[in-house]
Amino acid sequence: MKWKALLPYAGLMFMALAIGVFASYLTFGGRSVERPHTDALLLHDARPLPDFSLTDTGGTVFTRAQLMGHWSLLYFGYTHCPDACPTTLAALDRMMRLLDKLPAARRPHVYFISVDPQRDDPKLLKTYAAYFNPGFTGLTASVPNLKALTGPLGADFSYSRPDKKGDYAVVHSTMVVLVDPEAAEMALFTPPLDPKRMAADYANIIRYYGEQQS
Amino acid sequence: MMRRLFPLLALCACLLAPAALADGPSTRVSHVWIRQAPPGLDVMAGYFTLENLTAKPLDLTGIISPDFGSVMMHESVVKDGQESMVELPKITLPAHGSVEFKPGGYHLMLMQPKKNLYAGDMVSLTLTFSDGSQLAILAYVRRDAPTD
Repeated sequence: MKWKALLPYAGLMFMALAIGVFASYLTFGGRSVERPHTDALLLHDARPLPDFSLTDTGGTVFTRAQLMGHWSLLYFGYTHCPDACPTTLAALDRMMRLLDKLPAARRPHVYFISVDPQRDDPKLLKTYAAYFNPGFTGLTASVPNLKALTGPLGADFSYSRPDKKGDYAVVHSTMVVLVDPEAAEMALFTPPLDPKRMAADYANIIRYYGEQQS
Repeated sequence: MMRRLFPLLALCACLLAPAALADGPSTRVSHVWIRQAPPGLDVMAGYFTLENLTAKPLDLTGIISPDFGSVMMHESVVKDGQESMVELPKITLPAHGSVEFKPGGYHLMLMQPKKNLYAGDMVSLTLTFSDGSQLAILAYVRRDAPTD
């Protein structure tokens, strides 16, 4: 007798659902793709990255071509950075662990790009990146080569005046840049970085990208 | 045995020290932790929440640690998406208010560690305030921020 009393409600719910589906069909008209709502700044039009030339920690040249065919997250920092860089890299590690269930091909590659080539030699950079996540890749280059990438991305950097011991801080960008499989800048994550929201945004953005392509 | 008791004794000292100076402690600290330095590096950041229990503003004027050659108060400042660090000579705690040292904001910059410090190691810090009071605290080294 109880379930019978629920029947009208079930009917109403079904009707509401049907209306909703119909309305969304009218609104979004079949193929057009709805932009996801994200905390990340999703660019209206993805911006192709400029040509650049960096070096990975094995000494191999790393260019725009190496970003083709997979998703990438770029972060610009320096290893002697006590606060912002470890905080960001730890957040990216947590984000990656939340994306563990995605097929490997859909997971992003994380690149830590040191803008302090004077102190960050390949060995230090390699252990530093791997300390946060064994999958993270360290990259760097000469200052002019770095600027060729950071300039167009709006991720500029500069150095503070060295103290008596020669220590200096690096003024650097705080954002994490999401690069699509065509090596174009697609979205920006800015602090405070919440790994859960970053993972959710990432999943929504790659789905949106996939729908646009199909 | 003494080594095991040391943290406990230090903790007692930290509870008693401010009380010895005034009618009651003027400050209280919580959420204390120090970020372990990645391999090959020796700059560490320290974080905590500091409460002013008095009815007057109070300045945190200095921090020392026997475990480090140098301790500075820094603020990470973000301007136009660029992060830089500013050294602060003092930080004012509002009356009955608190100040949070946290990633991306105020933090201690701990340099020249006397030995390698790893997660679980304890660091002692002594904070000095403008009213002459001092607060001794113990901080655990952690690999990443505690999640609350």
